[in-house]
Amino acid sequence: MKYTCQVCGYVYDEEVEKVLFETLPDDWECPLCRAPKSEFLPQEEKKVEEPLVSKPVPTNHSEVNTDLSYGQMAMLCANLSRACEKQYKNDEASLFAKLEDYFVKHTEPKQGSLDDLLEMIKKDIDQYSVIREVADQYHDRGTARALVWGEKVTRILSSLLLQYEKHGEHLLDKQEVWVCSACGFVFVGEEAPELCPVCKVPSWKFEKVTGREG
Amino acid sequence: MSKYAVRNLRLCTKDCLCLFVCPVGATDTENSVIDVEKCIGCGACAEVCPSKAISMVPKEYPTQQPKEDAVVGLMKEMVESKATQEAFTRNIQETTDKDGLYRLMKGFEKSLRLLGADGMRESRYMLPQSNETKEFLQKLINTPPSEDFPLEEAKKLLEAMSK
Repeated sequence: MKYTCQVCGYVYDEEVEKVLFETLPDDWECPLCRAPKSEFLPQEEKKVEEPLVSKPVPTNHSEVNTDLSYGQMAMLCANLSRACEKQYKNDEASLFAKLEDYFVKHTEPKQGSLDDLLEMIKKDIDQYSVIREVADQYHDRGTARALVWGEKVTRILSSLLLQYEKHGEHLLDKQEVWVCSACGFVFVGEEAPELCPVCKVPSWKFEKVTGREG
Repeated sequence: MSKYAVRNLRLCTKDCLCLFVCPVGATDTENSVIDVEKCIGCGACAEVCPSKAISMVPKEYPTQQPKEDAVVGLMKEMVESKATQEAFTRNIQETTDKDGLYRLMKGFEKSLRLLGADGMRESRYMLPQSNETKEFLQKLINTPPSEDFPLEEAKKLLEAMSK
């Protein structure tokens, strides 16, 4: 039997490994992205893709808000800054970054526990498949791509939070936090992975997160 | 279509063939950035570059692909969720005295920003030169959200994106 990591897509093949997946210890992790064993699903159970029948689009979502929140405008300016950078327009990239900073500063502060954060992340994970269904109806493959990456990264955020709740500061002891600058994949380890398991960029695209002193 | 040459500094191996073939000396600069003012867009440098570090980019980009309201509406809700989570992680960073949690939350903040930015990209804002971006900037210039809004920056951007 084969098991697939829901985060990075790594396939654990019992025939190759000669060890039954069930018998692996509970603290076994994905060799590619270090997601916990619980993120693996047997391949047979994978949802069969539904045929593209024209289901009615939920109407309550079809209204598009033209007015963006400060948080959305921060994200928008972050995106435009990155786009300018890709177009080799460095001056414009830093101007958009200033607007981004402004909107981040003015975004409504939120206070809450790690559990509150986990709750929101879990809701997002469910929501990805809802949006995917609508995007597929319109054959919007650009959005589908953003959803595939987004869901994988969101799953790793959820699994990291669960790991932190279990192990506390031990999880980060002598370990660095790395973020893929292309897709946002977060990795805890001594070195950045050779290839991003989500978007496949090389290790130099990873940024090391510095502590308060750094 | 009118184009100009740009160099990817990460890929450039300084074999410098571009210097010999450029008819106007645009590739020979102190900071390795090809001089846009001098470049005539002939493409000779991109053709000979042994490390494929030079690309020809258009002065005018094509219009963006159309997007459906239903998809954009849902995606923007997802972006809003990422922005709220980001605010959570900032608060935890400010209040925690633990180095591990601080770094983890800082990593989450970066990650969530990238996810949100990617969502906006697929919500009709892929291209900085698009009408959607220009309208967004124009709106901010017409009614700045507060006194400390970087108005001059927004004006410069609108001008640059309208060129």
